[in-house]
Amino acid sequence: MIRLDNIVASYTTQRGQVNAVDGVTLEIPDSIVMGIAGESGCGKSTLMKVLYGDIGFPLSLRSGSVEYGLTNERSEPVTTDNIRREWFRHISYIPQSSMSSLNPVVRICDQFVDFPATAGRKKEVLAQVRGFVQKLGLPPESIDAYPHQLSGGMRQRIMVAMATFFQPEIILADEPTTALDVVVQKSILLLLLELQREMGNTILLVSHDMGVHYQVTDKMLIMYAAKAVEYADTDDIFQNPLHPYTLMLTNSLPTIGDDRARRGLPGSPPSLWEPQKGCRFAARCPIAADRCRREEPPLVEYTRGHFSACHFAGDVAGLKETLQAGPKLSEVAHDPSRLMSDLEADR
Amino acid sequence: MKLLQYMLQRFVMYLLILFIGITITFFLPRLMPGDPISNYISQVQARAGQSLSAEATQQLRDSLAELYGLQGDLFTQYTNYIGRVVRFDFGPSFTYYPEPVSNILLDALPWTAGLLIMTTLLAWLIGNGIGLIAGYYNKRRAAAALEIVGILLYPIPYYILALVVILVFAYWLALFPLSPTFLPGPMSWSKSVSIIHNSFLPALTLVLAGFGWNVLAMKALAVATKEDPYVQFARLKGTTDRTRMTQYVFRNAMLPQITALILSLGFIFNGAIQTEVIFSYPGIGMTMRAAAGAGDYNLLYGSIILTIFAVATVTLVLDLIYPLFDPRIRLGG
Repeated sequence: MIRLDNIVASYTTQRGQVNAVDGVTLEIPDSIVMGIAGESGCGKSTLMKVLYGDIGFPLSLRSGSVEYGLTNERSEPVTTDNIRREWFRHISYIPQSSMSSLNPVVRICDQFVDFPATAGRKKEVLAQVRGFVQKLGLPPESIDAYPHQLSGGMRQRIMVAMATFFQPEIILADEPTTALDVVVQKSILLLLLELQREMGNTILLVSHDMGVHYQVTDKMLIMYAAKAVEYADTDDIFQNPLHPYTLMLTNSLPTIGDDRARRGLPGSPPSLWEPQKGCRFAARCPIAADRCRREEPPLVEYTRGHFSACHFAGDVAGLKETLQAGPKLSEVAHDPSRLMSDLEADR
Repeated sequence: MKLLQYMLQRFVMYLLILFIGITITFFLPRLMPGDPISNYISQVQARAGQSLSAEATQQLRDSLAELYGLQGDLFTQYTNYIGRVVRFDFGPSFTYYPEPVSNILLDALPWTAGLLIMTTLLAWLIGNGIGLIAGYYNKRRAAAALEIVGILLYPIPYYILALVVILVFAYWLALFPLSPTFLPGPMSWSKSVSIIHNSFLPALTLVLAGFGWNVLAMKALAVATKEDPYVQFARLKGTTDRTRMTQYVFRNAMLPQITALILSLGFIFNGAIQTEVIFSYPGIGMTMRAAAGAGDYNLLYGSIILTIFAVATVTLVLDLIYPLFDPRIRLGG
C-alpha cells in the first residue's frame, strides 16, 4: 500500500511560491491500476513527480511524505527520502513523449543497461531483455536498432518494456499513450494491463482521456486546483459520483444511444497565486452555497472506499438529470461559430 | 546501400572541389596585371648589373615559359597545368633552383600538418570538454568560471596572444626557445623530444586561440541538450551524471561541433602563415610567405595546390567518418 500523508508540493517561481499539490492524503492499495484525472494545471503531473521522488528545484516538498510499503536492500522502509535509489528497481516511469525519450545516437540495447541497476551483468540482462521484448510483441533484434528505425508504437513498446523489465512494484505512467493514434493506443494499454495482471504491480496512470480511465483503471483520483476532490472505485466515479466536478467531467463523455449535445464546464480553475478560501470549485459549481465559499470541504469517506470533498455530496446525484437535459445532437445544426459564442460566454 | 551512396556522393564532391580549386588557381594569376617572366628577367638584369643581349633574353624567356608552363594558348596551358598537378610536378623552385618544388613542399608539409592538425584536435577536445562540463553543470558557480575562460580567450586576436605567450614563456621565464632549432638527422628519441620542446609555444598559442570558441559553442549546446526529453528520461531511470553527460548530452551535442571541426580544419593553413612567421616555424606557411616575397611562382603555386588538396582531403575523411557519430546518417530514417 502506498500512503500519501498531507502532501504539499510547491514550485518556486519569480512571483513566489505556488502550491501545485496542496494537502493530498491518500492510501493506494497494492496491485491496482489507479487513474489520476483533472484538467491541465490541477497538479496531476506534480503529484506524479512527488510519487516518483523526482523532487528538485524548482519543485519542493513543503510538507508530508510518501510511504511506499516497500523495504530496500538494508530493509529500511522506502519513503520519499530514499526512493531515488529504487528508481527502475522498485518504481519505474513511462514518459509522455515516447517519441523523444530515447537517445537518438545510441542503440536501444545500450539504453536498456546503462544504469546502475544492471552494473556488472549487462550481457546476461540483455539476453533476458531479448526474450522479454519478444513477449511484448517486438522482434528480439529490435533492441539492436537505433530509435529512429522504429515506429512510434514500437518505441512506446520499448518504453513499456524498459519500465516493466525489472518487475518494479510501482509503475508511473504519465499520459503514456497521448502521442499515439487510437489503434496503437489500445494495444499499448492492453499490453500494460496484461503485464500488470501478470506481475501484480501497481500502476498509476495520468490521462486526460476519461475513456482510457474508464476502460483501464480500478480506482480513480479526481484532482481540481491542487486538491484531491474525489477518490473512489472507477465504477463509482462514473456511475455514482459524489462531487459535482467529477460529474461534470464524466458527463462530457459521449454515451452510445444518447445523442444529446454535451455541455462543457464553463469558467476556469482559480489562480493558485491567490489565497484560497472555501471550496476551490465553488465559482463554477451549479450547487454552490454560501457555506462553500466560506468553508473548505475536507476529503471525507462517504461510503466505504469512496472519498469526496464536497459539502453537498448527497445532492450530486440529483444534479445528474439537470445537467444531461441538453438538446439532441440531431436537432442542433452543425455550427462551428457556436464555439466562439461559448468562449464569449465564458469570459 | 544508403551508406555507399553517401560515400560516393562525398567522393564525387571531393573531386569536384579539387577541380574547381585547381582551376581557380590557374586562372587567378593570369587575370593579374604583369608578367612573371618579364619580372624575373628584369630582376636578373638588375642583379647582374648589365643588360643581356636580345637573343639571350629571348632564349631565357622561352626556357622560362617552358619551366612555368606558359607556352601555347590558354587552353594548352590549362591542360598541361592539369597534367602537372596530377603528377604533382610544379617544376623547380626559383629561389632554391634546381630543387623541385614538390621536394620542398614534402619537406615542409609534415611540420605544418603535424602542428596544426594536432593543435586543432587538441583545442577541439579541451574546448568541448570544458564546454560540456560548463554546460552540463550550468547551475553551479564553478561551471560559470569555466565558461569565463572561454569568454576571455575567444576575442583575443591571435597575434597578440602569440606575442604574449612568447614574452612570458620565451623571454621572462625562458622555458622555451624563441625560434625553433630542430636537430638534423634521422628520427630518434632525443630528436622527438626536441621537436616537442621546440613546437610547444606555437602549439600552445594555437590551442589557446582555438579552444575559446569551442567552450562557448559546446556550453550552449550542452545546456540545450540536457533539457531534451531523452536526457530527462535517462535521469529518471537513475543513470549517473557521468553516463548522462557523456553518453547522452555529449554524444548528441558533439554532432554540430564535428561539423565545426571539419570547417575549422579547412582554415588551418590560414593560421599556418601567421603562426609559422611569428615563430619562424619551417612549415608550408613559411614556404608560402618566402615564395610570395621572392616571386617564386612555382613554389607558390605548389603550396596553394597542396593546401587545396590537404583541406579537401581532410574534409572528405571527416565526412566519411561522420556516419560513425550519427547513426541517422548511416542508416537513414
